[in-house]
Amino acid sequence: MSRIQKVDLNVGQKIINPFKTSRSSAVTNPFKYSNFEGNTLQFADVFEGFENKKTSKLKMITSSVAGSMTKIRTSITEPIKTFVNRIKNSMSNAWEYAKNTNIELPEIPALKNVSERINSTLQMDIADIGKSIGNSISGRVSHINSNLTEIGKTMSAEWSKLLGKLNGNKITSETSVDELRKMWEAEIAIAKEAA
Amino acid sequence: MNKNVVEIIDALSAHEDLSSISVLEELGTNSPDNEVREYTSRALVRKNVHDSLAVVIINQGKGINDLSPAVAMSTINEILSLKDKSEVIKILDDTISMHSDEVVKENARSVKSLLALS
Repeated sequence: MSRIQKVDLNVGQKIINPFKTSRSSAVTNPFKYSNFEGNTLQFADVFEGFENKKTSKLKMITSSVAGSMTKIRTSITEPIKTFVNRIKNSMSNAWEYAKNTNIELPEIPALKNVSERINSTLQMDIADIGKSIGNSISGRVSHINSNLTEIGKTMSAEWSKLLGKLNGNKITSETSVDELRKMWEAEIAIAKEAA
Repeated sequence: MNKNVVEIIDALSAHEDLSSISVLEELGTNSPDNEVREYTSRALVRKNVHDSLAVVIINQGKGINDLSPAVAMSTINEILSLKDKSEVIKILDDTISMHSDEVVKENARSVKSLLALS
């Protein structure tokens, strides 16, 4: 019973909070009187990770070049027709955008003339430009192909001639008909003599 | 057959000069050697031009009309294996309709039948 009486609180009694931190303005530094006995932190080590790392310029250039090369490779593997169509579409879109955008030029005669001239020049059909680019490229490609075929044929003929000379074989389609006739007649004569 | 003769016939067969046909006809198709006649006839067919085909189709004793069945059959086989048969059909038609010799006509007719079947 006496215990219960001890626990019993008066209404006016002040409760002491054991977790309450001191906010006294008089104490500013909580470590003011602490003695670390020489175990102070090395600030230089703590902030080492925040130092600017020296990146290699060579590495940066290499990576950018590699990226560019990859882009070039993908653009090369793109079929020429697709490439031309893509360029044509982007040009058309740009032209449509330009046409639909209101650009008011001041009323200066010289500028007006320039504007009219630009408009008349740009009336050309962009699609036609794309087609002509495509035709030009395909024409050149076919020309290259035919040239390569001709080169191949010439090389083959020259190679056959060279082999013929090395083997001591003079009988080819390059030999004249008269020479071939003489050779054949000589062979017939030899065969007759042998018989 | 002599290796040199084979090479000469091959060279004449591949020659663009049309005078090569007369050499093949004169020295090849008139040869007493069956093998030379056979090889020459095939070379003339491979040229696939009017003059060379005419030698082996319309001449008695040459090409398809040769007395040796081996030479005749070999020539017919070469004709059947041609890719472009337009010229040979034209000559066969002319031979069937206009040639004076009945044997040559009959041979041409047989070859044309074979062409139709192939």
